[in-house]
Amino acid sequence: MIDLFIALSPLLTVGFGGLLLMLAEALGKPANNTGMSPDGAVVVDAGAGRSEELGLLATVILFSGAASSMGVWLADPATLGVELVSPWLQVDRYSLFFSFILCISGGLCTLLGGGYLEEHKIDRGEFFTLVVFSTVGAIALGFAGDLLTVFVALETMSLGVYCMIGLRRSSPRAGEAALKYFLLGSFAAAIMMFGAALLYAATGHTDLAGIGAFVGGLGGEASGETAMVIVGMLLMLIGMAFKISAVPFHMWAPDAYEGAPTPTTSFMAAAVKTAAFAVLLRILLIAFGDPRLMSWGAGWPPVMACLSVLSMTIANVIAGRQSSVKRMLAYSSISHAGYLLMGVCAAMRLPEEASASVMFYLAGYCISTIGAFGALILCGSRGKEAVSYADLAGIGRRHPAAAAAFALFVISLAGMPPTAGFFGKLYVFRATIDAELYSLAIIGLLNSIVGAYYYMKVLVFMYMREPIPGAPIAIPMRSSMVVSALIIAAALVVAIGVLPGALLEMAAVAAAALS
Amino acid sequence: MDIFPTNDFTLLAVILSFPLIGAFVNGVFGKRLGKEAVTLMALSAIGVPFLASVATFSKLLDIRAVQHAAGAGSADHVEQGARLYWHAWDWLDLAWTGGETTLSVAFSVDGLSGIMALVVTGVGFLIHVYSTSYMADDPGYHRFFSYLNLFIFSMLVLILGDSLPVLFVGWEGVGLCSYLLIGFWFQDDANAAAGKKAFLVNRIGDFGLLVAMALLLRYTGSLSWEGIEANSGNLPNQILKVWQMPEVLAFSFLPDWLLLNEPTIATLIGLCLFLGCAGKSAQLPLYVWLPDAMAGPTPVSALIHAATMVTAGVYLVCRLSFLFVLSPATMFTIAMTGALTAVFAATIAFVQNDIKKVLAYSTVSQLGYMFLGVGVGAFTAGFFHVLTHAFFKACLFLGAGSVIHTMHSRIHDTDSSQDGRNMGGLRAYMPVTCVTFFVSCLAIAGVFPLSGFFSKDAILIGALTNTVSSSGGVHDAFVWPEWAGSVLFGMGLIGAVMTAFYMARLYIMIFEGDFKGWSIVAGWKEPEGHDHHDDHGDGDEPIDGPAPHESPNAMTAPLLVLAALAAVSGLLSAHDLGTHWLDHWLDPVFANALGNVVTDAEAGSMVPYIASAATFAGLGGAYFVYVMRGGDPARELAEKVPALHELIYDKWRIDELYDELFVATLETLAEVSIFLDKWVVDGIIARASAGVVAGAGSVLRLFQVGRVQAYAAAMVIGSVAFAGFFLLPHARVQLNGDLSNGQYELVASPGLGYQYSWDLDGDGEFAEDDFADKNTANIRLNTGKTVEVGLKVRNAFGLIRTVTIPLTRPDPSADETETAGVQGRATGQLADIEGRQR
Amino acid sequence: MVDSYLPMFLTFAISLIACTVMFTFGHFLGPKNPSPAKNMPFECGNDTEGAKFTRMNVKFYLTAILFVVFDIEVVFIYPWAVLFKGLGWVGFATMLMFIVSLLVALVYTWKKGGLEWES
Repeated sequence: MIDLFIALSPLLTVGFGGLLLMLAEALGKPANNTGMSPDGAVVVDAGAGRSEELGLLATVILFSGAASSMGVWLADPATLGVELVSPWLQVDRYSLFFSFILCISGGLCTLLGGGYLEEHKIDRGEFFTLVVFSTVGAIALGFAGDLLTVFVALETMSLGVYCMIGLRRSSPRAGEAALKYFLLGSFAAAIMMFGAALLYAATGHTDLAGIGAFVGGLGGEASGETAMVIVGMLLMLIGMAFKISAVPFHMWAPDAYEGAPTPTTSFMAAAVKTAAFAVLLRILLIAFGDPRLMSWGAGWPPVMACLSVLSMTIANVIAGRQSSVKRMLAYSSISHAGYLLMGVCAAMRLPEEASASVMFYLAGYCISTIGAFGALILCGSRGKEAVSYADLAGIGRRHPAAAAAFALFVISLAGMPPTAGFFGKLYVFRATIDAELYSLAIIGLLNSIVGAYYYMKVLVFMYMREPIPGAPIAIPMRSSMVVSALIIAAALVVAIGVLPGALLEMAAVAAAALS
Repeated sequence: MDIFPTNDFTLLAVILSFPLIGAFVNGVFGKRLGKEAVTLMALSAIGVPFLASVATFSKLLDIRAVQHAAGAGSADHVEQGARLYWHAWDWLDLAWTGGETTLSVAFSVDGLSGIMALVVTGVGFLIHVYSTSYMADDPGYHRFFSYLNLFIFSMLVLILGDSLPVLFVGWEGVGLCSYLLIGFWFQDDANAAAGKKAFLVNRIGDFGLLVAMALLLRYTGSLSWEGIEANSGNLPNQILKVWQMPEVLAFSFLPDWLLLNEPTIATLIGLCLFLGCAGKSAQLPLYVWLPDAMAGPTPVSALIHAATMVTAGVYLVCRLSFLFVLSPATMFTIAMTGALTAVFAATIAFVQNDIKKVLAYSTVSQLGYMFLGVGVGAFTAGFFHVLTHAFFKACLFLGAGSVIHTMHSRIHDTDSSQDGRNMGGLRAYMPVTCVTFFVSCLAIAGVFPLSGFFSKDAILIGALTNTVSSSGGVHDAFVWPEWAGSVLFGMGLIGAVMTAFYMARLYIMIFEGDFKGWSIVAGWKEPEGHDHHDDHGDGDEPIDGPAPHESPNAMTAPLLVLAALAAVSGLLSAHDLGTHWLDHWLDPVFANALGNVVTDAEAGSMVPYIASAATFAGLGGAYFVYVMRGGDPARELAEKVPALHELIYDKWRIDELYDELFVATLETLAEVSIFLDKWVVDGIIARASAGVVAGAGSVLRLFQVGRVQAYAAAMVIGSVAFAGFFLLPHARVQLNGDLSNGQYELVASPGLGYQYSWDLDGDGEFAEDDFADKNTANIRLNTGKTVEVGLKVRNAFGLIRTVTIPLTRPDPSADETETAGVQGRATGQLADIEGRQR
Repeated sequence: MVDSYLPMFLTFAISLIACTVMFTFGHFLGPKNPSPAKNMPFECGNDTEGAKFTRMNVKFYLTAILFVVFDIEVVFIYPWAVLFKGLGWVGFATMLMFIVSLLVALVYTWKKGGLEWES
């Protein structure tokens, strides 16, 4: 029993940490009075104005979640009596790999939030609790081995994110973004739920392995069960395509990313997407891993390939035409979903190699994208975000450290050595080529060249342009928390870029645990 | 008990880390640390690696001694050589290239790199000591030592790297440091431009190195020294068709070795590598950056541009000697380039007045000698010259620095204080500098028994007696011409005369006669044009700086050490005196390479006497011209053929030629590119694609108005499309099988709930209701027959799709080559045949 | 199996078609004589003032949500109570964790002023 608690400790640490954080927020002494209610009364909020301490506490909670994931990984979860919670929660090295990345990503986001919220006068303590609970949902999504836990975890994760988007209540834009995401997210969740219901109706199972086994036993003759499995799979795929914001299910993403406070945006781009990919891979390989469903002729791979090509191409084309860096990064995260889907397709022939490459890519992508958003936060002047390219003009000369950090993350996102992004791309492309999906790999390569164009644009503006005289220039904020987040992220990006072997080995072990 | 085992020799980590730490500390905290701390950090950052290198070397000596003792009894004992190895970490997974599985960041040290490490750290230490005094008053003191330490680190990575990529990291690192140090006084635009030039010219060489790496990875599957050595055997037997030429245009009238077509892989790799070496080691035609690099502080010139970095090219040739000898054509190219450079650069050194420029061209010329040595397969001789050259040239540069230092404190003008015509008679004022300079001059000129005599001798003997033969590769048609030995030897000899002459001229200009620096035009600069370069005598005005004086001890001590080394280091391999230590030491390193080198041992016996005669001819000539006649013959000659003199004085106008040839071409190319970019790329591609995007955008805008309903509609459209895909049946057929015997296997891609019905005889009739799970079908075809196989697919929703697959078995009765072609094409079709809808 | 769902699909299809047809016909066949007066929300009386619908005080929603949360708690506790003996201490601990987490939520709401109607 104790073993089991140890095995579940990543989830429990973060979950109970979240409760603790709630109490700390509610029972603490309010630092200042924030805002006015519509009728003019001063609103006293216990959590307001304390972003530094709450942010730090949240970061500690999330990083200890990462540490306990690492601990359980080392202790070998298979020996910890995890059969008791299986198949609802699958505690294996696959899920631990993801819970580690998710905790690190969440921790970096709370660090960013600690500096950002105060600077932008939306210093509300709920944010950190929401991040922590969303991370709980995300971790659970990685653990989930049953359609019910998938759904519960998905909703836990999403509900927090809906609120985090709307955190800036005075801004109609944020409210609109939150509402859009909420409505479409519910729509997608409903579709997914319908798919789950159909799968249960057809197979009598809600656990993924059971569904997989049932599908394996289906004969070739057309039957109601077969048809329902296919329709159920279709609906599940659509629901998950929404969560990973693959084109054409992406349309919420740019609006939501732009309207949300930047730490929330980075959490959505990194953690939410990573968790969605974790569950996507597990469902596709465990529940729909039958050779007849993994067939390039009539299974899910062509659909995924289609999503991949659309996501990469459309997102890259549109991203190149953005004038807002934040929106560009939003589209860039959609295009990264495209590259990742390429790896998912490759999993049809080489489940282990391709999953490992996707996991490696996700790790590098998470840190780079959080770093890029963090650098954008850092470059923002007081109370105003640096959102357009023009805002960044000349920042390379005025604030070399901030610009260098931004440049590093952008280079990693573009996939150039010696950064984490390069090896992520290298491994995903290699898996795609090894799986003999040559045309997909070529489209991916072309797209990463197109992508390099708009990433380089950031560098061009930072280092080679001078601000137009008289135009407002971005003045980097001063926040030790944002700076430390960037330092951690930069160290990780470079470390993975210089020593990719260790992480890849971990990803390979994790991927082996999946099958 | 063994703290540093042979296979995990972590002492290398010590050697590498100290300079890096030094560079970091001095670079980041240098300003705050103060001068003493910076000095201490910099000296320990180079001193500790030196001690560690000595320890490493003694370990190598131990291993060799043990081996020697073990093989003492047997006559045919071959010494294995000593090698210490340290694996830092695995960097990159290379399994996909089909060769080595990982690319490691690993370092190793053997006889060759052990000596190099000693030279780099030892000479480096002396130069660091020297610099503490030379740079004492410079505001960028900490920056200078940070760069210098970083350079030492990069150089050590270059030397100790166990694979080509690691070497390349060091290679680029030393290039970067060279760039930073040449442009150290970047306030002057000319200095910054010189740094840029060095950087750009080296890019050309780096390109060659990168291509060579790619080729090696492709053809040997390996990039580590051992891996390349193990897999390089087959390289001469493979050819790369550069282009497929029609018979008529095959340039058959050109000799094969012009390599216009079908070079062997070994030649190709060798030439690419040599391009890199020529760039780094300033050989024709890429030498132009080195003279300009003298813009850097003089210790930098001594360390980087004389003793260490520029010899990296020679080191690489020695390191990969087993690879180079596989291609006689490459070796011939190397030897010829080296000999030509040796003579060519020496001519320019004749007439330069800037003492650093003379030494720079002398360096280029001596590097030419080294390449001549390694090019003819006398690797030990070439490397021996690297060693001795490091000592005497560093000593010469530091001596010149000492002179410039004292001149500068008098004149306060960089150009004038380097001009030899303002000097003379300094022997009286700077005795130590003078003596060390004199010894080094004699050493470089090759006077017996100083070091230069032995190393140059060995190279000349090699040039006369060695030829490199093809290792039996069928495709390498190139044979060394008969005249190669005598021509190379002759050029080497001419170079030796010239070297002796211009070095004697330099020495006499600086130290003999009367001091001419009492009155010069302050602020006088060497004119850009050649028209009035000798009119500086007008309007002399006395200046009242301090009289010339000897430099402080921190500067003279390194000079003494280096001069002593320059004098005695020849004994390491003084064949005429019967010492062969270096040859034995390096034997295991070059053992593989020497198999292809043919030596005619008899021919070389007279060379020492001829070479000595040449040296004394040069020295005597200089004495005659500049001491006995006070330089009149030289002036007369210059007046008689002013055009030639000016041409040589302007360095044969090679820079101008490059300007015309490449820079102008590049500019034209840039113009064309701009035009293409503006009108084709921007106008058609970008604008058109922008138009398409804008068009798509206006369609998408219907959705992107921000209305949730529209967003949901997009999702619905996507969902419907996917639903359509799953609803409709798909028949995708793959063809396997052996076409030659007519056995075909058709595989329809599987699908959940799919059933298949085959019509194998091609009559278009399917049996009623015979859908089955079997998604494969076997069929046998007779030669030349064609059949249209039919397939019906029914999916889980009961929908049916019918396709036909036309199959033809090729007719083998056609002639053989054609069959091969047909089969090739047929195989190409095998991938996926999407059947035709009937 | 598909057959058994056929009536449902048919109903679905017929309702879709019926709706579409009615709206389409209404749109095209109905007489339209728009005038500014007709397009006004009210053809007579005073012009309207303020928003078209009044917002409920957000506290209603808050209370409703809190009610649902604790209602659900009962739903979970009841079956647990029935099986209390069989579940043993593990069940007890599990339920304790559940209740504690809800308790934390209650404290949170309280301290944040969620239970205060006036103010």
